[in-house]
Amino acid sequence: MREITYEVFARKDRGDPLVHIGYIDAFDDETAKVYAWKTYDEERWFEMCVVQREAIVPVTDGEGLFAQLRRAHG
Amino acid sequence: MSAFLDLAGLDDRQEAALERLILTLADSKRLMGIRYSDWLLGAPSIETGISASSMAQDEWGHARLLYAMLKELGRDPVPVEHDRPAGEYASVAALDEEAPDWAALVATMVLADGAITSMLRSFASGTFESASNRVPKMLAEEEFHASLGAAWFRRLAETEGEARNLLLAAANAMLPGLVAWVGADDASARLMVDAGVIGPAEDRLADFRDSVRDLLALLDVDVDAVPADGEWDAARGRTPGHPGEEAVERARGDRNRALFVE
Repeated sequence: MREITYEVFARKDRGDPLVHIGYIDAFDDETAKVYAWKTYDEERWFEMCVVQREAIVPVTDGEGLFAQLRRAHG
Repeated sequence: MSAFLDLAGLDDRQEAALERLILTLADSKRLMGIRYSDWLLGAPSIETGISASSMAQDEWGHARLLYAMLKELGRDPVPVEHDRPAGEYASVAALDEEAPDWAALVATMVLADGAITSMLRSFASGTFESASNRVPKMLAEEEFHASLGAAWFRRLAETEGEARNLLLAAANAMLPGLVAWVGADDASARLMVDAGVIGPAEDRLADFRDSVRDLLALLDVDVDAVPADGEWDAARGRTPGHPGEEAVERARGDRNRALFVE
């Protein structure tokens, strides 16, 4: 069963910056939403969203996490 | 919404009927939590296991809130939660035994948890004030369970192999009992309908069938043609049988009995 990696972003309160809090593997957007909400439930998040890792386009070409992942996985 | 139910004005039969309703919902929630907890370590992925863990916690929290409603009828929920033998549990029969495989747990997630949710939707819309206040939050949390269950159900149903057959077998095994439970229409259930605590049997069944019809169609199962299990235990408001002893020992907290803090 092919799984897709999703990056998870959340903000704790209205007005807080959206922060990258981790990732999960899921087979579609619906399961990604549930896995993210259930896995990263240590806070009462005001907002949480998931983004397919392959949809993220790094702007800086340095040592940042997503640039490294893009280089590692094409 | 009309006026809430006046608990002080209930006669003995109405009070017993409300107690039976609360117990079958609370026991079903507790056993649903046990069945999710059975799969914390055997789920297909870490994420799925964590979700099962979280859903188990949800279910146990819901059970605790439902058991607490018994206080309003003058019952002490502590012995109800911790002292009853398995034969007194009123949980829905689909939860009596551990799901033998992941496909069976997915069927349980969609069909048994879905049946409990249909009953709770009816309970939340009725005249029992505590249900009106407390159950909507449970229903909001259940949306994640339904979403995960539906995604997995579709995924397994659309395969051609063993997973689909296991899913179909589990669904066929539990559906008649669930239809009987959601569509309970005996004297006790009708007392609750007449008091406005829950909706009529046909409305509850329609809600349940609407919620699972499309998913079951993927298995070529017509939920509208599923008959109710013909056997019924009116004392507990479920079909005959009871949860396995091992599950009830866990539900009661037998191993930690000396450490209870209530």
